[in-house]
Amino acid sequence: MTETIARNFHAIHITKDKCIGCVHCLSACPTRAIRVADGKARIIDQLCIDCAECLRVCPHNAIHSHMTSFASLEAFEYKVAIPSTVLYGQFGPTVVPNEILSALRRVGFDEVYDLSSICELNCAATEEYLNEHPRPRPFITSTCPVVVRLIQRRYPTLCSQILPIEPPREIAAKILRTILPKSLGIPAEKIGIIHITPCPAKMVSINSPATLAKSYLDGAISIRDIFPQILQALRKSEEDSLMRHLFPETLFSGIGMGWPLSGGETRGLKKHRAVAVSGIRDTMRVLDEVEGGLLQDIDVLECTVCPDGCVGGPLGVENRFLAKSRVLELVAAAGEHAVVDHKDVSRLYHKNFLSFDHPVAPAEPRPLDGDPAKAIGKAKRREKIFAGLPLRDCGVCGAPDCRTLADDIVRGYARLEDCPFVATKPEKAAKPAGRADRKTKKEKP
Amino acid sequence: MGEAESVYRKEFPVKGGDFANAGAAACEIKELLKDLGIDAATVRRAAIVAYESEMNVIMYAREARMDLTVSLGKVHLVVDDRGPGIPDIELALTEGYSTATAEMRELGFGAGMGLPNIKRNADVFAIDSEVGRGTRLDIVIRTNGHVNP
Repeated sequence: MTETIARNFHAIHITKDKCIGCVHCLSACPTRAIRVADGKARIIDQLCIDCAECLRVCPHNAIHSHMTSFASLEAFEYKVAIPSTVLYGQFGPTVVPNEILSALRRVGFDEVYDLSSICELNCAATEEYLNEHPRPRPFITSTCPVVVRLIQRRYPTLCSQILPIEPPREIAAKILRTILPKSLGIPAEKIGIIHITPCPAKMVSINSPATLAKSYLDGAISIRDIFPQILQALRKSEEDSLMRHLFPETLFSGIGMGWPLSGGETRGLKKHRAVAVSGIRDTMRVLDEVEGGLLQDIDVLECTVCPDGCVGGPLGVENRFLAKSRVLELVAAAGEHAVVDHKDVSRLYHKNFLSFDHPVAPAEPRPLDGDPAKAIGKAKRREKIFAGLPLRDCGVCGAPDCRTLADDIVRGYARLEDCPFVATKPEKAAKPAGRADRKTKKEKP
Repeated sequence: MGEAESVYRKEFPVKGGDFANAGAAACEIKELLKDLGIDAATVRRAAIVAYESEMNVIMYAREARMDLTVSLGKVHLVVDDRGPGIPDIELALTEGYSTATAEMRELGFGAGMGLPNIKRNADVFAIDSEVGRGTRLDIVIRTNGHVNP
């Protein structure tokens, strides 16, 4: 088949020193990828989709994301930033996007490009793709890397319904990677193209892309990390801001500007019916429906796992409500007129410049057993074990809920005695832990 | 003994009008089939069949029992409801036909996909209905079956 996704790069990590083994992350994890063993939380590599729900709820700051550091960009001779338009929403109404872009130059980037026009380009390409492909329905957009990973793992049959147009960040980087080496006379590998984002999962899509042989981006810096430097640069140049207001150098797209708000990806579609979903739980609910054959009267489904869209990303600074309000002001200010020529987009589209390198491949399935007959036996045993559990979903055993503990037991990752409520009467059917590499200790509350 | 060992059975009760739990049984069936190592294409067909039949019960019937039996190479689903029954099965099996009310349509249900969609995704499809009593669907989906969703 195509690429496997066996070697997973993850952006979300647990700092063991800070983790106290509480259960907040356990219950927050939508794919039940966390277990607490020996008093510390541990993420199961195959199950994690880097949604960062755990990072949001951890009360001890024990979960962090691995992002690109600004210092590490020294390796590049020429540094280019392409910030998510979420960045424009992190400042008050007096700070316009042109000032933010020029502040990034003072921070140390040699060039900075606005993404809103590329977002508009992506929307036009999506329209063209939908025109040419009447089936299947609905197509699902691929901008949110978490949605792609969720589909690979939990909705493998929907992989073929992912709309195969690269998201704006990759298209922008691909265009720059094509034109900059020639215009600058600098070898491509000496040019660093960096995304600035509120999203840890962008690191995952850069390091292990699901649809490209190699990402066109060299890294992603979190808004949170670079925000203080931008603020400082803005303060130093207050006298310039009036000039920037009067003499803007970048033309922003109103159609693309709203991209990071839920519904923003598809707002510019003229002829197609779109539905936008945001938030991890709602995304899963709707994908369940799509897998059940519903929503076939919808042309395109936009899913973003952060609440309200990328503007609700965990690594932003401003709260998402203010950020959203600010982005909406900018959308209105930029207006509805197109800034990209649809004929040009069409030409790029038909050159396959905007397409995936390869389709999204489903993740390796995780049946209870490779042997179908044994899997049936284990499913029965799991049910029996589950019926004897207290259903309190307390997390003391180290699994997020009783159902998962029963599942872990039949897979050989946990023991019935891990449950503090049934520990006194071990079930005779319970096998000793099959795999010795994982010791699960019971934590008394 | 060997036979009993390699057969998995589970029943799912479904209540008419229970829109709050719409799709819950179908989702559980889907996850179960994945755990049993059923291939993705078969899981998809079973998910569509389970979802549609569960929704039919929720929209039209008083209550039903969905009986799932998984054996090697075969997924068998029987949906037995107590409800109004179907006066004209022929018509109900016509593509695009729907009796969904405007309210149901507003909720996004009843796009006329129901029974024909179930039949299309099944390898064996039997329907038995009595007006005033209920409807019984008997569906077999073979792993590596020939039907495509």
